[in-house]
Amino acid sequence: MEQFDAIVIGAGHNGLTAAAVLAGKGKKVLVLERSTSLGGMMATGMLNGVQLPRLAHLLYNLNPAVVRDLGLKLDAKPMPTVALSEDGRHVVMKGAEARFADGTAHPDAAAFATLYQRLVRFGTLLGQLAQAAPPDLSGSLSLAQAGELGALARLGLRLRLMGKAEMREFLRIVLSNAQDLILDELADGPLAGALAADAVRGAWAGPSAPGTVFSLIYRLAQGGGAALPAGGMVAVISAFAKAAEVRGATIRTGAAVQRIVIEGDRVTGVELADGTRVSAATVLSTAGAAQSMMLAGHESYDIEAVRRLRNFRTKGTAAKVNLVLSGAPEFNGLSREQASGRLLIAPSVRAVERAFNPVKYGEITQMPIIEAVVPTLTAPDASGKHVVSAVVQYVPYAPDGGWTGTARQIVIDQVVGALDRFAPGLAGMVTASELLTPGDIESETGAPGGHWHHGEMSFDQLMSVRPANGLAHYGFGPAGLYLAGAAAHPGGDVTGAPGRNAALKALKEMAA
Amino acid sequence: MKDTRHDLPPEHIPLGLIPTPFQPRLELLSRTKDWMNWAGYISPAVLDTMEFEYFAIRNQATLFDISPMHKYRISGPEALAMLNRLVTRDVRKLAPGRVAYVMWCDEDGMVIDDGTLFRLSETEFRLCCQEPQFSWLLDAAWGYDAQIEDESHNVAGLSLQGPTSASVLRGAGFEIDTLRPFDLAEVEPGLVISRTGFTGDLGYELWISPDRALALWDRLWDAGQIWGIRAIGYHALNMARIEAGFIAAGVEFQPIHHTLRLHRGRTPLELGFAWLVDFDKGHFNGRRALAAHAKRGPRSMIVKLDIGGFKPAADALIYHRKKREVGHVTSAMWSPTLKRNIALAEIRAPFGTDRTSDLWVEIYLNQEGVWQRRMARATVLSQPFFRNPRARATPPAAF
Repeated sequence: MEQFDAIVIGAGHNGLTAAAVLAGKGKKVLVLERSTSLGGMMATGMLNGVQLPRLAHLLYNLNPAVVRDLGLKLDAKPMPTVALSEDGRHVVMKGAEARFADGTAHPDAAAFATLYQRLVRFGTLLGQLAQAAPPDLSGSLSLAQAGELGALARLGLRLRLMGKAEMREFLRIVLSNAQDLILDELADGPLAGALAADAVRGAWAGPSAPGTVFSLIYRLAQGGGAALPAGGMVAVISAFAKAAEVRGATIRTGAAVQRIVIEGDRVTGVELADGTRVSAATVLSTAGAAQSMMLAGHESYDIEAVRRLRNFRTKGTAAKVNLVLSGAPEFNGLSREQASGRLLIAPSVRAVERAFNPVKYGEITQMPIIEAVVPTLTAPDASGKHVVSAVVQYVPYAPDGGWTGTARQIVIDQVVGALDRFAPGLAGMVTASELLTPGDIESETGAPGGHWHHGEMSFDQLMSVRPANGLAHYGFGPAGLYLAGAAAHPGGDVTGAPGRNAALKALKEMAA
Repeated sequence: MKDTRHDLPPEHIPLGLIPTPFQPRLELLSRTKDWMNWAGYISPAVLDTMEFEYFAIRNQATLFDISPMHKYRISGPEALAMLNRLVTRDVRKLAPGRVAYVMWCDEDGMVIDDGTLFRLSETEFRLCCQEPQFSWLLDAAWGYDAQIEDESHNVAGLSLQGPTSASVLRGAGFEIDTLRPFDLAEVEPGLVISRTGFTGDLGYELWISPDRALALWDRLWDAGQIWGIRAIGYHALNMARIEAGFIAAGVEFQPIHHTLRLHRGRTPLELGFAWLVDFDKGHFNGRRALAAHAKRGPRSMIVKLDIGGFKPAADALIYHRKKREVGHVTSAMWSPTLKRNIALAEIRAPFGTDRTSDLWVEIYLNQEGVWQRRMARATVLSQPFFRNPRARATPPAAF
């Protein structure tokens, strides 16, 4: 039987990060990926002969500690965000600066800058919590416990150092909803809608749900802003894979793990779908929380843990629509540089909230909220064709009546129709299209419920209770098993932080 | 206008306490009308006098209605695996036709409840316990091919205890001679008899469907006349329970699902049941926490105390060298059979475990309106207070 020091299940960015960190410390590491390609949600796709980002299409929130530890050299160009407006007065945002696409001043520009900068400040504060395991508050008061409390104490101190007014503001808004926060400062419209859309991307929540301010802050943890990496997301995933491989990790694709082998409450290896076994005393799973539990066998978990993991909320609401166009789309009122930015169709906070309502009842939203990118405007495809990559909310996991061909076409038509209103003639240029529903995303990547973050990023599922009380410190039941994916602290987005933190925890316990 | 203030509710909606299947007989036997609420059922605290009833347990035969016990049927191909993850003992060692005393813990290793587990067949079990467990068992069964049925209201239970209990059963025409302690048998279709009980004495428990309950009672009652059969209430049984050294939920330990304050739960080890915990059988609920607890050692221990004097030490505090408070009495009585002043107590470590000498119990006495305080010496015992070979003899003697 093949023998490794550690096995990582899943070659998404978290799995590859974990492998790189472990291999960097001289461990013999094997990464096993079920699919035939690397990258999980960052995997690249092909449609009608054109390469495109199959799921995730932008980079934000990548954790600087991960970049440093892995020595990642990414050429990622910050791109403007464009909030498209029905009246043609599109708003372009570059960091905290907002103005109309024609260069004229936006009446809310000052209020937006103040709000945005404040959120980024708060994000930076919370971002420091993402670089370590969440504080463990389960034990009794002891010296060891003091270290755990230290992390919280440092957060408290940094809060205090922001000044009384800022601290009070942080505590006032951190648990509240994005809708109230945004509309307190800005008039409702595309600018406000853009912030609201960012607060709920991938979430089973409208901007009026409590906790959405926190998700907005979380998204701004690394200063905010989205970047289109040179070479696309495939370049990012190659960089992660290379970081793991140069450190000596072995990566195998098409190798589905069907079972994590437990003997005497200790991990001893994994069993692949073809029955072969690979032995290792340490296994890190980047699958979903409940999925990882089932791989190890629910009988290895306490009844309370099983109940919590079963009830971990993973209802995905974001779908992906990819379009291939015969030519370059022309957006009314946008320069070429602006059109190659991150395009948001979220007309208002109210519209984002309204778009969420139908999905609660298993219906398809009539007016979806869209984040679209035309990467071929930045890096042209050799064929001269263009692609539109769109994240579409809210799309139900299982609509009433199921995902029939008609239902699928409705979503694609809505996206094409919405874009065509801003780029007349776009509909006529569509030569191929595909829809990836949350269910499709689940079956392709294993993300439970097709949820972009492997589980809702709400307060009851974050920090010391992500994915569940008692399992929040990467150690996942039997000795030697760790949860290293987005279901672990700090959660989703392409941060690499869960993978890195889990690997560090595993290294600590391997040394003990 | 009609006065409706005292109208009774419609009969199909029972309000207040409900009768057990045996209540028609108990009602007639009760002289004290001293009823208790046991899990929503009317249950006798005392029927005649506690002393008569207690001496009947130790010298004759007694009937105690245990129908209010919570009873759960666990069945299916993976019922065994499911139960083995639930309880701390290795259920694989429990053969069909046998009964085991079991405990189950929460994820922190704190006892949720204790009870008796009946293995009715390869794939069928019955769990009898004091606390409602249905939702917990449903959670515990998730992922297993096993069904949980709450049969609390569908099975009547009768505890027949005392030295002549085997003779009563024989007289009633039941073949029970081959039943060893903790054996069970379906002696007639639909009637299961197990050699179990809560008295530490020779005794049996009989399980039957409620519609046949009264006929069974009458059959035992008639056969028991020459063997001194008596119906008893809870208080007499509780005396026998203390003499046997058995712990009771809510008394010697607080079921963890009912505690609100921190650190009120106890591990099986702290209740003196380390032998019930099988760390080598694979994972079971709370195993990891219990292993850590076992390493640190118990925080406290339930012990059996022999106390000087004859005044029961109910609710008394326990001191080391008459000075340092180290625990408290949980159950206490003057044992009429043993002629000893006995108690169960919780003592904080290292007292009660490593240090058992120089322990004193502080007893307060109200003598006709005047309070007196006595310090009585307490000795920790390792064996049950009441032990009698007749409890284990197979076949049992006539009395």
